[in-house]
Amino acid sequence: MVDSEAPLVMANDMAKKYGDFIALHPLNVEVHAGEFFGVFGPNGAGKSTFIKLLTGQLRPSKGQIEVLGVDAVADPQKVKANIGIVPESESPPSFLTPKEFLEFVARLRRVEDIEAKVEHWLDWFGMDEKRDTMCKDLSKGQRQKVMLAAAFIHKPKLLFLDEPFANLDPIYQRKCRQWLLDHVKDGGTIFLCSHVLEMAERMCNRMAIINDGRVLAAGTVKGLKKNEQETLEDVFIRLVGRSIEDVEREEKASETNEGSEEE
Amino acid sequence: MPGATIVSRDWDDVAEGTPLSTGLGTSAQGQELHEPLRGWASFSATFRVMFKEEGRKSIEFAKKRQIVLFPLLLTLITALTTVGLQFLVGDSSAQVADIEQKTFTWGELRFALHLPLLMFSLGMGTFAFIGHDAIVHRAGTKNYLLAAPALQPLPNSVAHFAYFIKDLCFYVMLILSPVIAGMGLGILLETFNGVNTPLEWSSLPWTWLAMIITLGQGLAFAFLGSALWMRGRPYTIFGPLAIVAFGVAVGLGQVNLDGVLWGLYVQSNQSPLIAVAALAGCLTIGLLASALIIDDFDVSVVQREEMFVPIYNRLGFLGDGEIRLIVAKEFVDLFRSGSIKKMTVSYAVPLLVLLGMAWLVDFAEAPIPINLLSYAPFLGFFGFNFYSWLTILDSPEFMNGLPLRVPQLIRAKVIVYFLATSWISLIFIVLMAWQLDEWTSLPTSIIVMFANSIYIVALTAFLMGLRPNKAIFDASVMIWFWIGTVLPLLGLFLLSFTQGDVSLYGNWWERASQDGLAATSAMYDQSMVEQGYKGMLAISVCLLGASALLWKLMDRRWGKAEFSN
Repeated sequence: MVDSEAPLVMANDMAKKYGDFIALHPLNVEVHAGEFFGVFGPNGAGKSTFIKLLTGQLRPSKGQIEVLGVDAVADPQKVKANIGIVPESESPPSFLTPKEFLEFVARLRRVEDIEAKVEHWLDWFGMDEKRDTMCKDLSKGQRQKVMLAAAFIHKPKLLFLDEPFANLDPIYQRKCRQWLLDHVKDGGTIFLCSHVLEMAERMCNRMAIINDGRVLAAGTVKGLKKNEQETLEDVFIRLVGRSIEDVEREEKASETNEGSEEE
Repeated sequence: MPGATIVSRDWDDVAEGTPLSTGLGTSAQGQELHEPLRGWASFSATFRVMFKEEGRKSIEFAKKRQIVLFPLLLTLITALTTVGLQFLVGDSSAQVADIEQKTFTWGELRFALHLPLLMFSLGMGTFAFIGHDAIVHRAGTKNYLLAAPALQPLPNSVAHFAYFIKDLCFYVMLILSPVIAGMGLGILLETFNGVNTPLEWSSLPWTWLAMIITLGQGLAFAFLGSALWMRGRPYTIFGPLAIVAFGVAVGLGQVNLDGVLWGLYVQSNQSPLIAVAALAGCLTIGLLASALIIDDFDVSVVQREEMFVPIYNRLGFLGDGEIRLIVAKEFVDLFRSGSIKKMTVSYAVPLLVLLGMAWLVDFAEAPIPINLLSYAPFLGFFGFNFYSWLTILDSPEFMNGLPLRVPQLIRAKVIVYFLATSWISLIFIVLMAWQLDEWTSLPTSIIVMFANSIYIVALTAFLMGLRPNKAIFDASVMIWFWIGTVLPLLGLFLLSFTQGDVSLYGNWWERASQDGLAATSAMYDQSMVEQGYKGMLAISVCLLGASALLWKLMDRRWGKAEFSN
């Protein structure tokens, strides 16, 4: 029997530490089916660590993680076999062509009718002419398309995306955005990490803002705003605690201090 | 529908460690979950693409023409060696009676075939280190299938085992098979040209199989060692101790080397059962090593104290140019990557072997006129490995956007090599002088050693630039490297026989020409000693001159190259 209330993703006190550096403080999270959940934060806030822990790419220092009823610490391969991951900076293997890489990924994920699926996604991303070019010779955007295709090829219900559109041109950004929204409408679930707040406005039904490995606030996009006039950027600066003006003010103050010390 | 929730807690509010899994109550919401490919299915899917990847990686540097030239070169060299076997084993009219005393036995030749092969494969088989590097650098500009388990439903152990088998296949294809083809060519020459070679057709399949076993054994043991090392303590302590203990046992004659070299044993016995058992043994050790690889994709985020400026400040003797900046950056890479330990050990191990040889030769009072000056050129020879390591520490591609040129980086690496290793070589040459009690030769030996050391690395850097690891399959580069290193090394080595304890070895060369290994000396010629000494110094000066020339020519060869390794 399917428990419609049960979350797809759940972490209990999930945390990560590197030596003395706490990358992610203990965190409890639940994501349910049909959600487009976004985690936003400044550079180095812990977003990628967050996504890597949930997808079994990293082992947590503390806590439990479960995805689709599978323990992500005990059986990360099974988690990876049933989700789609688009990493922030990883490229496809340099010496394989896009076609070969997609065939390899499809084979690992037991996709049926591999050839047709590979052709479909190469075509969808406009990579027909580059299908036999080694990935090392592709542009950053083209490599990103290959990574997106590799995440979509088995049409997973649950997708984890880390800065998925960083290198895409506006046309494919829009095309992918629409595909993801349709995917959620069809019952899919998306977990997105980014620092591009515009994506939250356009796509997410719920979001969290994190900084220094801690959750600062979470809720609906509308719910995070104090009033109608406040933009998401204002919310971000208010929560993260520093604006460009703050940084400039601090720099000026430190310069003045140094000057007076020299005198 | 309930919405997503997310909250943070303080680090200290949560107990350390991962709790025993009791199930958090998530559900796949009716989605049918796939089991990931495991075992043979995932191995075969990975191996096929890895094999393709390796082929392209090799071709990328060497280009298609050279990738064919390298095996061809090996075939030709082996064919010539096969023809020359008659002089080595004495099965020729040129030889006189009492063959065993004046030439090598087949057993000695087989040993000379398998031991270097084992040493080579031990050096190439540290797959756990290679895998770790691939995972750490997967966000860089180059990504390899070995890093695929981080993202794909593929166990790290399977990817590593596929890599082990793929490497074994490649070495068999590009090195062992051409060698056997060369032997076959040598035998064919006998048919067509009346050349007398003692090798039989029937021995070729066994030689091929035996070499594969030795290669597989070396790769498997190095793989196992690296896999254990990556698991940390206690392996990082007991592993090196076990290796040293084994080395001492070999040195003391407590270990039968025929049994240690499985391939040699197979070739000597020619038993199909033993061959199958030895092959199975290699695969089992490879499997065990891959089972020891854990699914750990952590890339540590560690904060460090400032290191660049302190190192830069210490390098004042390099002036204020870009080279000083790059050398400082290279040293930071060397320390931060943790490679300094691995590299120092890999540099010191061959020197230890030489020291052990010096001890053995001295201890056994072998009738070979080896002295301190004979070792000096070889002490400088091992710079190639160290330089190769230096070129793969980090991707240099970010430098394409900086006002720097490739020759500057290459020169900086040569300087780093010299600064990082010269003290090790110096310690070893002093230890050898003490071991052999040849203090008077020490100053000359130091000159010879450093001249060689600088020259070999300058030559490597000039010929191979930032990609020495890939140049191994580039025949045109390897031919020049071979000529450039073997000729001066051989010259210095032969001239060294005129030095040392010449009262014993004075006319060794003449006697050796007549009596082979049974040679003894009978006369002493002071003029020969002087000539030999001057010859060695002259070659050393030439090598230093050649190094300076290569240093200058670096701009011409690599001036327009892009930063890429």
